[in-house]
Amino acid sequence: MMPGPEPGSAGRRFLYSAIFWLIVPGLFGLILATVLYVPSLYDRLPLALKPLLSFGRLRPAHVNLMIFGWLSQAYAAAILYIVPRLTRARLYSERLAHVNWWLWNLMVVGAALTLPMGLTQGREYTEMIWPLDLLFVLNIALLGINIWGTVARRSEPKIYVSLWNFMAATIILIPVYMVGNKIWDPSGAFTGMTDNIVNYFYVHNLFNSWFTTAGVGMALFLLPKLADRPLYSHRLALWGLWSVWAGQHHQLYSPAPDWLEYLTVVFSILAVVPTTAFMVNFFMTMRGGWRRAADDVALRFLVTGALFWALTCVQGVAQSFRSFSLLVHFTNWVVGHSHLAFVASYSFWAFAAVYLMLPQLARQPVYSRKLMEWHYWLTTVGMVVFMVSLWVAGAVQGRDWLASNGPFMDSVRAMQPYFAARLLGGLVAGLGMLCFAFNVWQTSRRPAPELVPALAAGGGGGD
Amino acid sequence: MKSHVVYLTGGSLISLLLGIIVTIIIPAQDPAGPSALARPYTALELQGREIYKREGCHYCHTQQVRAPEADRGMVHEPGDIGPESAPGDYYYQSPVFWGTERQGPDLAHVASREGRGDNPAWHRVHFANPRAVSPGSVMPSFDYLAQAELDALTAYMLTLR
Repeated sequence: MMPGPEPGSAGRRFLYSAIFWLIVPGLFGLILATVLYVPSLYDRLPLALKPLLSFGRLRPAHVNLMIFGWLSQAYAAAILYIVPRLTRARLYSERLAHVNWWLWNLMVVGAALTLPMGLTQGREYTEMIWPLDLLFVLNIALLGINIWGTVARRSEPKIYVSLWNFMAATIILIPVYMVGNKIWDPSGAFTGMTDNIVNYFYVHNLFNSWFTTAGVGMALFLLPKLADRPLYSHRLALWGLWSVWAGQHHQLYSPAPDWLEYLTVVFSILAVVPTTAFMVNFFMTMRGGWRRAADDVALRFLVTGALFWALTCVQGVAQSFRSFSLLVHFTNWVVGHSHLAFVASYSFWAFAAVYLMLPQLARQPVYSRKLMEWHYWLTTVGMVVFMVSLWVAGAVQGRDWLASNGPFMDSVRAMQPYFAARLLGGLVAGLGMLCFAFNVWQTSRRPAPELVPALAAGGGGGD
Repeated sequence: MKSHVVYLTGGSLISLLLGIIVTIIIPAQDPAGPSALARPYTALELQGREIYKREGCHYCHTQQVRAPEADRGMVHEPGDIGPESAPGDYYYQSPVFWGTERQGPDLAHVASREGRGDNPAWHRVHFANPRAVSPGSVMPSFDYLAQAELDALTAYMLTLR
C-alpha cells in the first residue's frame, strides 16, 4: 500500500487556493467600482477588452468567484481542519479531500473563464453553466462524505454543535442547489413567475443552508478556542441550527402572490429566534474576556464579524418589511447589505479561521503580526466606508425614486460622490486583503521544520 | 446518539421539503396565463433576449414595476415607469429578468416611452454611446457588439411595452 497523503494536506491546499480566489475577484470588484465612478473609461478601452470588462459580465464573475472560490473554499479548509479535531478521529479520506480540491478548483477556473465570456444562465447566484453546476453538487457531496464519514468513526462521543451545522449544511445545500439551478435541465431556468419564485427561494436558502449554517458552525468552533473559555451554552447553540424559508421576502410589492409575501415576512421575523440564540451565546461566552480581542487579531476578526452579523440580521428583518423594502429595494443599499453579510461577517470569520489554522497547517508561526494588524484595520475601516456610503446612496436613490420629481438620470448622477467613497473604501479594504495574502504566502514559503510530534498528533489544535 | 443523527437528517429534510412545497410548488400552481402585454417571441427577439442575458443587462436594469410606484415613477416624464407588473407579463420568459438593482431605469415598459424607448434608432445610438444620449450614464458602451447583435437586441427591447 502506498502511504496516503499527509493528514491536513488537503485542507492546506484549500486554504491557499481560497486566498488566491479572494484576490482575483477582489480585483474584479475594484474594476467594477472604478467604472461606476468613471464610466467614461468604457469609451476609452481598447475594443478587445471591452466585452471582458463590461459590467454585466464582470459582476457575476466577481460574485461567483468570491462566494464559490474564496468563501466556500475557506469554509472547506476550516471544515477539513475542524472535523477531525472535534471527533478526535482521522479524516475519513484525505485522498478524497485532495480529489475534492482538484474538482473544486476545476469548477472555479471554469467559472473564471466562462463568466467573463458571457457564458451564463442569467439568474443571480446560478450563473455558472450546467457542467459547472454538476461539479458543484459533486464537490459538496464529496465534502459531505468526508464530514459524515469522519463523524461516523469519531472517538469523541459528544457531537459538538459545529459538527451538526456542517452535517446539516452539506445535506441541505445539495437539494437547494439542485432545485435552484434546475439541475435536470441544462438551460437552468424555469419559465414565467415560477422562475422567479424558485430563484429567490434559492438565493436566500443558499445563504441559509450553506454560508450561514456552515459559517456559524465555524464561528462556534473558533469562539471557545480563540477566546480560551468554554461556550456559554451548547443547548442554546443547537437552536441556531434551524434556519427558515424566508426567500420570498426579496419580492415584496412584486407580482408574486400577496399571501406568499406575508408568509415570508413572518418567516423573516421568526429568523430572529436562531440569530438571537447565536448572538446571546456569543456575547455571553465573551463576557469578561473582551481584552483578549484587543491583543489577538484572529479573535478580533471573529468578534467584529459577529457584530457585523448582528447588523446583517437586523437589516435583514427590516428589509423584509414592506415599508422599508419599498424605500431601499433595487438601490445600492442592497449591494451594501450583501457585502455586510459576505465580507464583513462571513469573510471576517474565515479570516479568523485562517489565522487559527495557518500555524498548524504551515507548521510556522504567522510571518508577521504587524501585517495581521494592517489586514484587520485596513479591511475593517475600508469596509465600513464602503458599506456606509452604499447605504446612504441607497436611501438617496429610494427617496428620489419615490418623490419622482426629476428624471431617473438625476438619481444616477447623484451617485457619484457615494461611488467615489465606495471605491476609496474598496481600495483600502483591498490593501488589507493584499497584506493578508502576502502574510500567508510568506508564512507558507518558509521551509517547514521536521514534524514536531505534538503538532503532528493533530488533537488540540489552537494556539 | 444514532437517533440524534436520524432526527437531524430527517428534520432537515422535512423542513426543506416543507419549504419547497410552501414557497415553490404551491405558488407555482397559480395558473396566471399570459397577460395582454405578453406574446411569444420571434426568433430575432429571442436572439436579442439571449444577448441581453449574455451581457448581463439585468444586473443594472429591473423589469418589475412595484405597485406603489406604478404609473407614478419617473424615468423621463412623470409616470412613464408604466403600469404595475402582472404575473402574466412574464408568461413566455425564461429566464425571467426581474433584476435586483437599478443602476439604470426599469425596463419593463421601455418600449412605451415616446421618442426614446419606442424608437429603434434611439436604441442603436444609445447602445453604442450611452453618454452621448444620456450624459452621466454609467452604462458600458456596447459598440463591441456586431451590427446583427445590436439589431436583435433592439428588436427585443421593443417587445418591452
